[in-house]
Amino acid sequence: MADKQYSVEINDLAVRFSTVDGVVHAINGVDLKIEKGKTLGLVGETGAGKTTTALSILRLIPNPPGEITSGSIVLEGKNVFEYSEKEMENIRGKQVSMIFQDPMTSLNPVITIGDQIAEVIQLHEKIDAKGALEKAKEMLELVGIPGTRAGEYPHQFSGGMKQRVIIAMALVCNPQLLIADEPTTALDVTIQAQVLDLMQKLREKYGTSMLMITHDLGIVAEVCDEVSIMYAGRIVEHGTLEDIFDHTSHPYTEGLFGSLPNIEKRTEALKPIPGLMPDPTNLPEGCPFHPRCKYATELCKTRMPVKTDLSDTHSVRCLAYEEGTGVTLGGEKA
Amino acid sequence: MSDILLEVKDLKKYFETPAGTLHAVDGLTFKLERGKTLGVVGESGCGKSTTGRAILRLHEPTSGEVIFEGKDITKISQKEMTKLRSEMQMIFQDPFASLNPRKTVSEIIAEPLRLHKIYKNKEEQAKRVLELMELVGLSERLVNTYPHELDGGRRQRIGIARALAMNPKFIVCDEPVSALDVSIQAQILNLLKELQRDLGLTYMFITHDLSVVNYFSDEIVVMYLGKVVEHASSVDLFAHPTHPYTKALLSAIPVPSIHGKKERILLKGEITSPINPKPGCRFAPRCEYAKECCFKDSPELREMEPGHFVACHFADQF
Repeated sequence: MADKQYSVEINDLAVRFSTVDGVVHAINGVDLKIEKGKTLGLVGETGAGKTTTALSILRLIPNPPGEITSGSIVLEGKNVFEYSEKEMENIRGKQVSMIFQDPMTSLNPVITIGDQIAEVIQLHEKIDAKGALEKAKEMLELVGIPGTRAGEYPHQFSGGMKQRVIIAMALVCNPQLLIADEPTTALDVTIQAQVLDLMQKLREKYGTSMLMITHDLGIVAEVCDEVSIMYAGRIVEHGTLEDIFDHTSHPYTEGLFGSLPNIEKRTEALKPIPGLMPDPTNLPEGCPFHPRCKYATELCKTRMPVKTDLSDTHSVRCLAYEEGTGVTLGGEKA
Repeated sequence: MSDILLEVKDLKKYFETPAGTLHAVDGLTFKLERGKTLGVVGESGCGKSTTGRAILRLHEPTSGEVIFEGKDITKISQKEMTKLRSEMQMIFQDPFASLNPRKTVSEIIAEPLRLHKIYKNKEEQAKRVLELMELVGLSERLVNTYPHELDGGRRQRIGIARALAMNPKFIVCDEPVSALDVSIQAQILNLLKELQRDLGLTYMFITHDLSVVNYFSDEIVVMYLGKVVEHASSVDLFAHPTHPYTKALLSAIPVPSIHGKKERILLKGEITSPINPKPGCRFAPRCEYAKECCFKDSPELREMEPGHFVACHFADQF
């Protein structure tokens, strides 16, 4: 399938941060591809490296202390690490834009929302101030905010509306790739439903590809085409929605599903993953998940699993799927 | 005859603001049996946290009765209340903000024991602290660490140990797991359930997360802008949601499954202001079924089925 076109391709990305407490290995060899027009869900818990991956695409990792130690990120056929800082500025907001988690802190409190959206347009398009503001108003209407409110300040809007403003800002230059970093975590469920619905509609309209960062598997089931599960800076499982939800393979993914209360079967007890995320300055030997894995064997403590393809679309990093390791997920081991 | 631990009658809490009177909790009535869990759900600003605080008199209620073990605690003196608080405790949402950063884990857990002068000598107190730490699954070596050295899950365990220190009968859990990652969230939920079983605790569980409340509660109260819109057993509420708001709320939960996609009810607009609310049903401006009478008269909470209460003029038609 060589004719598939990718909006972004990340190969073997590694990022580390040098801190006073030691070197934080935030990302340790991440491969990730998003097909044009599709949505990839990046799922993991706090500290898994989801946001760092996203910031790397935009080259927004603060250096120092951050440092990209290996890998490449190919946007539209060119490695972003080869762009100059000036070229990068043109890409951010135009080719790739990002929606941040907290709508309360990602808007400038002393500039009207109309001007904030117009600023993005003026940076990337040859248009005068008046024209840009007109376009900003049109964009606001599109996300369900009356254009007449363009002269108001962020504090005059509710959380859901602020997030709509940010979506308007992110999509106004018609980017090829939209990175949404937990876009609805700060919102109430009924407002979350509105915002997700809006994002879906706009994405379909413009054919934008999306990287959806979330910890909520419910949201993934609703908006994504493919899913990557991240743990300790690595993708431990990747597949289509069906692969991940119906043929869950990695013990960590299984643990994530087991931790969620089942709304249909309320009596079923939760099966949490024991223990905590490993310390990224001191990752365990072997498979980073082994201290929390109920299937872990002696081999898991020393040997790092490699990526194993289960099918054309489904891959996993776990010794149980590698040949000749003798690790099984059947019988539980202490 | 059921064993009622807590009864709340027409509880109201208003706040005076420069813009007018804010009706945070407006006439809440329920009974809670010993050893059971009442879930309180609703979105930001619906008054669920204020309810929890008003019951413990951390906010002085504007009117209404809170009857705890047969005694109306809104009438008793501050001094008696302080004593009674040993039986009514609270676990807070934010394990980062609810612990004193300058105290060690053992000092934080011992605080209520010290305030109520339970133990005469330090050794006994220290022994109790270790007992509590074991109960909530904190390892003994953490006894002299400070909160900033610990992750969210462990901090929440400290908050739980502190709440348990005085052997309370009733605990208000205000969003105890919303700041935690899913795998840690499940650990804490299981811990709270075990503690309830072993110690016979009664919980009021405040949350915005409907799948959590369904897992955890025996009964559920759904609040909207200070009013109860629906009150039923968890099984009933999820099987037969009746109020249009409850229906929309349930349909808005993203379900982690790719089978059986359900019809999503998208609500129009956003929550209206609780300051000087207009007469009529508070949900009417966002309700697709709203008729003229909904904007005039406030619907009473009516018992539609045994134990299933709904506040909607048209509840019998849904």
